[in-house]
Amino acid sequence: MTTTIALIRDTFREAFARRIFWGFFACCSLLLLFLTFIMRIDVVQGAIATVTIFGRSNPSTDVQGLVTGTQSVIAMILYFAGMALAVFASAGLVAAVFEPGRIELLLSKPVSRTHLLLGRYLGNVLVVAANILYLVGGSWIIFGVKTNVWGIGFLISSLYTIFIFAVLLAVLVLVGVLWDSSAVAIMITFAIMIITPILAQKSQIERLLSSEWSRDVVRVLYYSLPKTADVSVMIRHMILNQPIGSWMPVWSTALFGAVVLGLGLWRFQRRSF
Amino acid sequence: MAAYAIETEGLTKVFRTAFSARELRAVDDISLRVPAGSTYGLLGPNGAGKTTFVKMLLSCTHQTAGRAMVFGKDTRHAEARRPIGYLPENHRFPTYMTGFDMLDFYGALSGMATNARRKRIPELLNMVGLDERAHGLRLGKYSKGMLQRVGLAQALIHSPKLLVLDEPSDGVDPVGRKHIRDILHALEQQGVTIFLNSHLLSEVELFCREVAIIQKGKLALTGSVEDLTQGSGYHVEGMHVPEGVAKELRTRARSFTSDNGSLRLLFATRGDANQAVDLMRSSGCEIESLGRTRSTLEEVFMKTVEGGVRP
Repeated sequence: MTTTIALIRDTFREAFARRIFWGFFACCSLLLLFLTFIMRIDVVQGAIATVTIFGRSNPSTDVQGLVTGTQSVIAMILYFAGMALAVFASAGLVAAVFEPGRIELLLSKPVSRTHLLLGRYLGNVLVVAANILYLVGGSWIIFGVKTNVWGIGFLISSLYTIFIFAVLLAVLVLVGVLWDSSAVAIMITFAIMIITPILAQKSQIERLLSSEWSRDVVRVLYYSLPKTADVSVMIRHMILNQPIGSWMPVWSTALFGAVVLGLGLWRFQRRSF
Repeated sequence: MAAYAIETEGLTKVFRTAFSARELRAVDDISLRVPAGSTYGLLGPNGAGKTTFVKMLLSCTHQTAGRAMVFGKDTRHAEARRPIGYLPENHRFPTYMTGFDMLDFYGALSGMATNARRKRIPELLNMVGLDERAHGLRLGKYSKGMLQRVGLAQALIHSPKLLVLDEPSDGVDPVGRKHIRDILHALEQQGVTIFLNSHLLSEVELFCREVAIIQKGKLALTGSVEDLTQGSGYHVEGMHVPEGVAKELRTRARSFTSDNGSLRLLFATRGDANQAVDLMRSSGCEIESLGRTRSTLEEVFMKTVEGGVRP
């Protein structure tokens, strides 16, 4: 446990030193300040409200709908833009471990390679999770105080965002172990983030394709890669209190993450430094 | 307790390049035994395979064949590395940490409890000569010599039984080198095995009792510094030797030098040296010095490296 805590603390320290943590924290704080001071919600007769942004009033609307709608916008910004930022920032944290002169010292300690890499991985997930929970938790409290709407869908959605980040981080780890390059790791992870929403339109793509083998390729890619777009739809449904059709996107994405992380650990075990 | 701190059997590392049949045998079938409690120097020219050998000892590099053991345990198992303290060459310590943070981090990785670390760190930093100001200073602000000192403290944090040092005095001024040597001597007195990989032959000669020389990946020579630097002949130096006696001695000696009334002669055998002493004494000369000839470690090293690997 001492070792795991030390590895997590080291990742936080490095994230602080690289200004990654503080950069995220500043962005989240700005958004929370915006929600606190700029957006005014006057609740009239319980269910009807007037929203004022930058002093301009918008037509009255349903409070529950207004809050969940705004929360789903925040969740989507966090899910796509925040995720891209987190991946970009984390690539350096992963590659830093494999720097010559640093890795030898880590490997000389009485700690297994699996433990070393998982400790770093966990630390990195927690750095991003701390900021996501700060933003989501903070905005949830602000909305709750202002409107008395305390639905937990928004809070739970943050766990799915952290989960998708953890899966993408596994890709960063694998590429980092294979090629020691944060640039290549970012490129491959971004490629996955761009391709998977396209693959989510599987049925439309299949209709456009003429040959069966090309349709098979699309299906294989869809089922084997993480389903970031499908999970984003699930998050929206969760916040808007709508039913969730299938959990397949979650478990298949988790399976992808586990396999990729496993490959990263396996390669790290066998690699000579 | 195992008799050997380090024991390798047929340790071999072959690097193969992808898409090519070419291979490089960086370390070739090295079997080495380093007795527990000894001070051992590893020598060799650049590219001889020293660093690869050390990295295999620490399990940073996986061997192609053979095995490496520390105190009888295979170093591929994490637990076997617990008694090792390591200071790498060209280290890159995290610059965002202070000296204190760094020792705390590596101490935790070595399995030390928080209280033990808090007690040990200030003692160690003071021991390696880093003053109070340096304790809280970020490593990015440290000079090369200070980094080397904090690196040594890092290697000592968990009171290891085996210290593996790669160029420990690199970038350290002569006073600092002496200080590091004193620390290592104190550790030697406590029974810590010290395995030194250094290019500085004079440093190895001053500190190590035993050495191994690696050449082209193979073990070229091992032995005690005392034995290896022991010359094959004897020297006798006399003062005011009469010309007749000097002439007689010069014919028997392998070589001679004379300077300011002294005559220094080198003889191949102990018998020749004894006869020379008898002759000098009988003619009333004073003996200034006598003894076996000695080589420097550098001479032994050069002879080994230039002469190629011994069978």
